[in-house]
Amino acid sequence: MDIFSGLLFGFQTILEPSNLFYCFLGVFIGTLIGVLPGIGPIGAMSILLPMTFGISPVSSIIMLAGIYYGSQYGGSTTSILVNIPGEASSIVTCLDGYQMARQGRAGPALGIAAFGSLIGGTFSIIALIFLVIPLAQVALKFGPPEYFSLICLGLLTSIYLSKGSFVKALVMILIGLILGCVGIDSVSAFPRFTFGCPSLYDGIGVGQIAMGLFGISEVLINLEKSLERTIFKTRVKNLLPNRQDWKRSIGPITRGSLLGFLLGILPGGGAVIASFLSYTVEKKISKNPDAFGKGAIEGVAGPETANNAGAGGAFVPLLALGIPGNAVMALLLGALIIHGVTPSPIFITQHPNIFWGVIASMYVGNLMLLILNLPLIGLWVKLLKVPYRILMPLILLFCLIGAYSINNNVTDVIIMIIFGIVGYILRKFGYEPAPLILAFILGPMLETAFRQSLIMGDGRFGIFVERPISAVILVIAVLVVISTGFSYYRKVKAEVIIE
Amino acid sequence: MEKYHSTFWTALSLFVVILSYNMGLGGFHTPGPGLMPFLLGVFLLLTSLYLLWKSLLKKVATEETATEEQSQTNYQKIGLVLASLFFFALLLEPLGYLIVTFLFFVLLFRSVGNRWRTVLMASAFTTLVTYFGFTFFGVRFPKGILKF
Repeated sequence: MDIFSGLLFGFQTILEPSNLFYCFLGVFIGTLIGVLPGIGPIGAMSILLPMTFGISPVSSIIMLAGIYYGSQYGGSTTSILVNIPGEASSIVTCLDGYQMARQGRAGPALGIAAFGSLIGGTFSIIALIFLVIPLAQVALKFGPPEYFSLICLGLLTSIYLSKGSFVKALVMILIGLILGCVGIDSVSAFPRFTFGCPSLYDGIGVGQIAMGLFGISEVLINLEKSLERTIFKTRVKNLLPNRQDWKRSIGPITRGSLLGFLLGILPGGGAVIASFLSYTVEKKISKNPDAFGKGAIEGVAGPETANNAGAGGAFVPLLALGIPGNAVMALLLGALIIHGVTPSPIFITQHPNIFWGVIASMYVGNLMLLILNLPLIGLWVKLLKVPYRILMPLILLFCLIGAYSINNNVTDVIIMIIFGIVGYILRKFGYEPAPLILAFILGPMLETAFRQSLIMGDGRFGIFVERPISAVILVIAVLVVISTGFSYYRKVKAEVIIE
Repeated sequence: MEKYHSTFWTALSLFVVILSYNMGLGGFHTPGPGLMPFLLGVFLLLTSLYLLWKSLLKKVATEETATEEQSQTNYQKIGLVLASLFFFALLLEPLGYLIVTFLFFVLLFRSVGNRWRTVLMASAFTTLVTYFGFTFFGVRFPKGILKF
């Protein structure tokens, strides 16, 4: 199917009323959780995951994807109006967005954030189509050794790009991979780490782990700090940026689109890093860097474009290779697998309705978001006033019911609560749970590829370096390790000097 | 603090290594069920030993003194939330969705200091709304002692 007929097919899929409804529901929930504190896209997606079991795979992926990119929109609203980022990817938007609001320019700030998001989102969808199809064709030549190397590269890069300590991220990845081994071994039918508990024979469910680590534990962490917020008391008016604003923003939006998309493709990347880097770049090349932090519209336009473009770019490795690059994509993969769809290079030809449907839905979803966020901004501002003490029990109930509805089984609920406690303790000690969930999903794929490669290579590890594509990927992985080690060494050295 | 969690990871990795060794490693020709977890366990062991070594090198003088009073109240709140979560999980099937959810909300709404009247009304309202909402999405709840 060529691109044109593919897109046509995709729009046919998304314009079916039920798909349109789920797309709207997804972006609506996305904006909602972007605005509300205490729950992020991963938490919301995992809570809704079990509810999608009853609907078609294409509808459920459309809805879950909508939550992800929708939350990028909603996150900026709180950054600008309350100076509290709704999502991690909107942290930098606080710097200039809130200052703009204080100067009475909340409207243009929200406006440029929404338009930038639309442009960045649209750009990334187009770039996605042109990149995924050739990439998937190359990936058809991949065998188990190449997949093993690729997954290793993905995991190592996500350590390199992790926010906190590299060693802690490595620990999280190893724990995730080990948790992925729980359950009956697919080759030998040997039960691993099940401790005689039949509920563990099928492995730990991705829903239970994700809800525990990102739903329950986030609530527990938030209980420690006061989340009562003072909302900026101003009427939001003139949402449309003026000509001067556009002139200043066009450069940041263009660069943000490109930068965001490219960074989004990287494993462990996605929207968060894209927004940070875009801000740094804009500040660096600006003729007037002192204006940043004091309400420069460039500081809103760039990062807000980049995070949406990054959200689009993150779909590339998942759709082309079947390998998720970050925790959100890992959850989407989990959802596809639950529906019996295994993404691989032949995914596009095997399930064209899902591939093209999701692409078209992202376009439609972005337009819906613009309508949801600009004319209806007042509604979201009102929602900002919902106190956390009302939200908290609701988030918890959603997690409980979400876990219960997976198998109508209380054991799943208990497993989720335990992971909630684990996640809380991990966060307290500075461990980020996102690499864990990524590794947890990639673990079984990594193991299968590893074992198949060893059998193929007659027990020799040489198979990983003898095949040219695998060797090149491994060389890149080694470079990533060296570079991680080097920046870790510099960090430790700097700490020693400070002490 | 670093000392404690790196010790925990070391213990955990040893546990994984031993368990997976017992599962059977197989050879590299025919990898057994224990091979992958064994290798992962070894990696984790090395990483946690490094963390442990690093934490022992650090001077003890930098230990932060947390504000005791504040952390006490926080743990009370967290304890209450965890208790209500387990309460929900364990009583959902015997009592049924409507009763358990109502009590769950009463507990949590009351804990943040709302008045009884508000607590009861809000709990009843949210219980009913979520019941119909979830049932719409096809979730089936245990009936418990009520017959619906």
